[in-house]
Amino acid sequence: MDPKNGTGQAAYRGSKSFTQQQVRSANATGFGAAADDYMERGIDLNEELIRNKPATYFFRMKGDAMKEAGIFDGDVLIVDRSVPLANGRVIVAVLNGELLVRRFHKNFSSAFLIPENSRYKAINLAEFSDFTVWGVVTYTIHPQG
Amino acid sequence: MKAIVDCNNFYCSCERLFQPKFEKRPVVVLSNNDGCVISRSDEAKQLGVAMGVPLFEVRSLIREKGIAVFSSNYALYGDLSWRVMETLRILLGKERVEVYSVDEAFLELDALGQKELDALALSIRKTVEEWTGIRVSIGVAPTRTLAKLANRLAKKNKAETNCVMVLSELPDIEQALRRTAVSDLWGIGRRYAKQLHEKWSIYDGWQLAQVNESFANKYLGGVVGTRLVRELRGIPSRMMEEERVQKKMIATTRMFGRRVYELNEIKEAVATYTARAAEKLRRQFSATGHIHVFIIEHREGERHGMAYDNHRHLDKPSSDSSVLIRIAIELVTSIYKKGPAYKKAGVILSNIVPEAARQGSLFVDSASADDDRLPLMLAIDNINFSLPPAHEPQHDTILRFAAAGTNRGWKMKQDYRSPRYTTKWHEMPAVR
Repeated sequence: MDPKNGTGQAAYRGSKSFTQQQVRSANATGFGAAADDYMERGIDLNEELIRNKPATYFFRMKGDAMKEAGIFDGDVLIVDRSVPLANGRVIVAVLNGELLVRRFHKNFSSAFLIPENSRYKAINLAEFSDFTVWGVVTYTIHPQG
Repeated sequence: MKAIVDCNNFYCSCERLFQPKFEKRPVVVLSNNDGCVISRSDEAKQLGVAMGVPLFEVRSLIREKGIAVFSSNYALYGDLSWRVMETLRILLGKERVEVYSVDEAFLELDALGQKELDALALSIRKTVEEWTGIRVSIGVAPTRTLAKLANRLAKKNKAETNCVMVLSELPDIEQALRRTAVSDLWGIGRRYAKQLHEKWSIYDGWQLAQVNESFANKYLGGVVGTRLVRELRGIPSRMMEEERVQKKMIATTRMFGRRVYELNEIKEAVATYTARAAEKLRRQFSATGHIHVFIIEHREGERHGMAYDNHRHLDKPSSDSSVLIRIAIELVTSIYKKGPAYKKAGVILSNIVPEAARQGSLFVDSASADDDRLPLMLAIDNINFSLPPAHEPQHDTILRFAAAGTNRGWKMKQDYRSPRYTTKWHEMPAVR
């Protein structure tokens, strides 16, 4: 799988994915074989946080509409378009041509986009004809310090 | 069964995905250097913006009708193209998908009934749109040529067809062929169509499908003509090609952002293009044995200026930027004449061989110095790929060769480029 160049080194492959063969192997004298069985390639956030790569996009939060949900200005949102819409999920919505992050809430008669900040108003979707779901937020990334 | 999946107005759709306010408005995307229109939304087509029309010819229409204009954003289109193709590979399996262009792929489907094919194509279309946000049209038929035709008919009437058209039953195929002029068939150019009209009175696809094979072989372009006729009859005659992993030729050619007169600036441009081409060469683990360099003069009021070119055969194939740049600069210096304005330059690498199988020449010392520089080149590529600054569209901006210059007044014009939403950490789309 791993294309090698003439020098025998693994070269740039234009991708951050890697194969089993690239797992570091322990070859310290005397321990090699035993330790090899326990060698792992480390935790890969791409793998853990992105469940469906072609359907996953990143967005940047602007403003404080969702601060009580722990999403702050400048945070990164991981959005998966293949995750089905469900009541109570934080979504990226398209409303009047604008991209919004809100919590989706539906009861027996109507649907709402709920902000997580008392300064903002809930949006009743019955009042809008061109509402679509862009994707479902699966994780957010917030820097500390 | 063959299917073709084709992204609808692909570049325009990519731009709209992150700026949904343009969803129902006319949108166009411009070629390199903002020269002419290369992608149009349906709304822009209806306003009469022609494919390939130069920007200056439609400036007033754009202003009057409020058409949204974008420079081409290849980082974005490339990423979204990968997502569409990857979705197809996940849905159908790698071996059933052949990427045909940035926005088209052929699929190999099982020979199911008409209803099942319809349902399958529809579900593929829906999943691609759901996952990637890109709308596609799908044509399904026994051969690729007929699948292309089905796709064309699906696109013509999106509302009625749901962007999906299956031609699996003979009466449907006949009807579709009768409705299609030969010039609208895949692989038939204008000149060939004219010949079919004038010499043989063949006007639609159905007439062409009736031609007997030996006649086609004799008068309609040999094997190519025979294959075409067979394809129209529903007999697959174009093979599912293996994915072309290695390019046989790498070309980097660009329009300058303005008129360029001085040799120094042209040298910088050529060095930059050569570095880009060499980088592509190394990405596919190969080396080049032939360099071709050209420059094109700008003549006021004329579309095609004089072209000057020169080339050199390399005794020993190389992928070393410094070696290739040195040769490219010698070549461009040999063809440059002072005086005229130049508008475009290009570097074409051919005779491409795999890096591992690079054949030394009998007459060249095999232990020559540039052998040892490959690790350096790969290190440069890695740095350039991992750390491109936020405002630069190219990769070669962290480490570059001195010959490529630092002012770069000749660089491409891209006045209306959108952010690289999906490939740059600092250019992610904003949400509120």
